[in-house]
Amino acid sequence: MGPKTGWMGGWGIFMADLIIMPSLAQISAIYLFLLFGAEGLAESTFWTTVVGIIFILAMTWICFRGIELSARSQVLLLGTELAVLVIFAVVALYRVYAGDFADSVTPSISWLSPFGLSVDAMTAGILISVFIYWGWDTAVTVNEETEDSTRTPGLAAVLSTVILLVIYVVTSFAAQAVHGAGFLVDNADDVLSATGTDVLGSFFDKFLIIAVLTSAAASCQTTILPSARTMLSMGAHKAAPDRFAKIHPKFLTPSYSTWFFGIAAVVWYVILVFAGGDVLADSIVGVGLMIAFYYGITGYACVAYYWPHLFKSVKNFIFVGLFPFLGSLSLTWIFVKSLIDLADPENSESGSSWFGLGPPFVIGGVLLIIGMPLMFLWKAGHPEFFRVKRDPAHVKPPPEGGETAPPLLGIRVEEDADVR
Amino acid sequence: MSGEVILGYDGSDGARHAVRHAVEMASAFDAPLILAFGYEPPTMGGEAADLRKAVQSRGEAVLQEGADLVKSIDAELSVERVLIDERPADSLVDLAAQREARAIVVGHRGMGPIRGAVLGSVTYRLLHVAPCPVVVVKAPER
Repeated sequence: MGPKTGWMGGWGIFMADLIIMPSLAQISAIYLFLLFGAEGLAESTFWTTVVGIIFILAMTWICFRGIELSARSQVLLLGTELAVLVIFAVVALYRVYAGDFADSVTPSISWLSPFGLSVDAMTAGILISVFIYWGWDTAVTVNEETEDSTRTPGLAAVLSTVILLVIYVVTSFAAQAVHGAGFLVDNADDVLSATGTDVLGSFFDKFLIIAVLTSAAASCQTTILPSARTMLSMGAHKAAPDRFAKIHPKFLTPSYSTWFFGIAAVVWYVILVFAGGDVLADSIVGVGLMIAFYYGITGYACVAYYWPHLFKSVKNFIFVGLFPFLGSLSLTWIFVKSLIDLADPENSESGSSWFGLGPPFVIGGVLLIIGMPLMFLWKAGHPEFFRVKRDPAHVKPPPEGGETAPPLLGIRVEEDADVR
Repeated sequence: MSGEVILGYDGSDGARHAVRHAVEMASAFDAPLILAFGYEPPTMGGEAADLRKAVQSRGEAVLQEGADLVKSIDAELSVERVLIDERPADSLVDLAAQREARAIVVGHRGMGPIRGAVLGSVTYRLLHVAPCPVVVVKAPER
């Protein structure tokens, strides 16, 4: 594990963030039209793309300008979103049991059983679960800075993951119970608005739409900010051109990186629309690949970075060595297996073929590999970053307390361990 | 009470304009002047160590420039520069509380009440939570 792996990890984060932007923008555009009852416009690729592009540029400007929601309004927004989801789930389940829907299905615990799935379906499912977990690691990175940092981050990570799991399970149970699994498959593009009206009625389903809109906007901000910061870090450590490290003198935000990212996202969006793939579904699977890649690298980096400390205690060995390694190993397996499966266009959501390959393969695999020649090109001209040898003095013991605890998916203990 | 006068200084036109008033106040009270620069990257944006470093060096440059400006007005005045890793309004409030400051001086950026409410006005927040008097200096119309 050296600077090259670190560079590729950075590339993976950047590309994953970039690729998800069109999906967020498209969701926002569709739901914005739905909010005002413009169903026709919501189905027009042209108009959703136009509004989606405006949305990306607006969010980029907001991040560039340094405008942020206060912690309190974030809590309010997220709270509203969760409340709406819970209300949706509770009302849906109540009405299912009350027999309000002719074609409803009684929920069964067997829905949770992974047995009876093919290996292909399993890996596809796990890849999507990697995607939906993505972002939830923020609780860990952010809370490195909280006051009681020995307890809070570990506890927050475990608690937030449990909450996430409960919400996903309850909501999917509710959604599947209303009209059965077949209905969800037929409306795979947008399950919420399809079931929302039936469950909540045509007035209250607006709240569902607002919840999706605010969460897309918040996701956009939590995608742009970290990507811009990753680019700034790469610029500051000479892993990318200096201008990426520039900050705006007044707004104090990474100006060049932020706009670079926003404009790259728009370009990628337009390419996707012209390529005609199913933007949403195929990108999500492609992004799942990238996340599996960089979470995987993080787990191996954790083991390599803390190697001298692994054999000092059983706790270290298990939580800093074994668990991250096993997590990374399973992510590697999913990554490789998915790449093989997704190479076949038949296995993609859209079924379309790009260069004879499935779009998710092209999105997740090829774009990742493009990073390699780029890296060597950069290395040829600017070898400074790659000369950095790991400083033994930097190998500090793993943090005590809760931080290292949740080995769920290769938690970022020291993400840029190799970079320093 | 012999507390310092704190000037929130971010290098903007409003802040530069406020320098003269802060200097006058400090020398009238015979109190030291503190130039404070506070900024904290939004927490929701993930890893921010390198951004913090970049902001810090920008902050140091801004404070140096502010201190030079003060010296050009009153070379006798004692000036301290403080860089705070907190949101602008909070950094001024905490500093004032810690030092039992006499007053906080800030420049007015010329945002109307509505723009201020949407974009988050430092001045507005200060007025409500500061532990000492707050002096708001309005920049001249241009």
